[in-house]
Amino acid sequence: MKIFKIILLILLIVFVGIQFIPTKRNQSESIPNTDFMVVNNVPQNIYNSLQTSCYDCHSNNTSYPWYNKVQPVAWFLENHIEEGKAELNFSEWDSYSNRRKISKLKSIVSQIKENKMPLSSYTMIHKDALLDDIQKKEIIDWINNIKTEK
Amino acid sequence: MKKVIGILAVTLLSITISCKDNKQEDQKEEMHNEMSDNHTKYACPMKCEGDKMYDKAGSCPKCGMDLEAVEAHDHSEMNHKDGHDHGNGESTEREITQNNTKNTATSAILDAYFEIKNGLVADSDEKAAKGGNALLTAFSKFEMSKLSGEVHKEYMEIQESAKEHAEHIVKSPIDHQREHFEALSIDVTDLITLLGTDKVVYQDFCPMANNNKGANWLSEVKEIKNPYFGSKMLKCGSVKKQIN
Repeated sequence: MKIFKIILLILLIVFVGIQFIPTKRNQSESIPNTDFMVVNNVPQNIYNSLQTSCYDCHSNNTSYPWYNKVQPVAWFLENHIEEGKAELNFSEWDSYSNRRKISKLKSIVSQIKENKMPLSSYTMIHKDALLDDIQKKEIIDWINNIKTEK
Repeated sequence: MKKVIGILAVTLLSITISCKDNKQEDQKEEMHNEMSDNHTKYACPMKCEGDKMYDKAGSCPKCGMDLEAVEAHDHSEMNHKDGHDHGNGESTEREITQNNTKNTATSAILDAYFEIKNGLVADSDEKAAKGGNALLTAFSKFEMSKLSGEVHKEYMEIQESAKEHAEHIVKSPIDHQREHFEALSIDVTDLITLLGTDKVVYQDFCPMANNNKGANWLSEVKEIKNPYFGSKMLKCGSVKKQIN
């Protein structure tokens, strides 16, 4: 019993201890001129869908959930956001070359179509980020449309 | 004591949340597979009767080949093919143009590209991934200091895009590799148009790739070996153009 208590105590110390390790916050005050929404004059319905379902991991501005303050969840999120932004960062959209924009638009469509994005681990907690069939169609049609203008 | 156990429970909970994710993704994958069976139509892989669709599986009345399942959604897209989808078709059906420079500097890049292509032809994600690594190496060894002005700028854009596709090909399952290979083929085609090569290169076209919108690929051999479908439809496609 005594050993059990000691183990518990150690785990508690570790758990409390890791709370003090700082994490990078992915937040910015302003919307840059290179933002996807600014550059493409996105209609309101698509704007809302992208903002809710994509921007947390694919932009420089995450709206953090309360549990982000708790480790090790915060690490997990940080990692996801970093990976997401490396793949596609809507905030820096206009810095991409035209070639890259077209390729990204195409990937966005296929990821949404194949239900690979938004990630299921994300929509499990953010139910509002789930895209229904109407939203998916709206986004895909709209993107296919701007792709032809490129 | 009770407090300690409570806090421990929270720790465990947060750990299980992070572990749960992989399982969830698998489930999603299964769900998706089931979903796509919902509105399936069938079409002849050789398009004997154009874009004609059949409601039931079976064989094509013209050539007798087994009909292939096509998602209903793709069907509607095909009807729009001549309409607003045109721009996309333009980018995928870009033709390679003869560049008279017998450039040997692009050889390593082409070889690596062919390695990916041959991996996909053999349905081997492992070999394609190896080719992806070779392509990354080839790009890093390319001496771009010899390029100048507009050519340099365009090379940089092609390289950036191609490397991104190569990175994905290195780490992805074969379906995703093929998606990126399609975009990579456009990049490599443009690269050869821009810089030239001394190799004999064939530009091939498969009308069924890219969700039936069609896609090109480059090959070092004249014989058609389809990287978009592999053994499933090895002979699908035709030579569009030859360089050198």
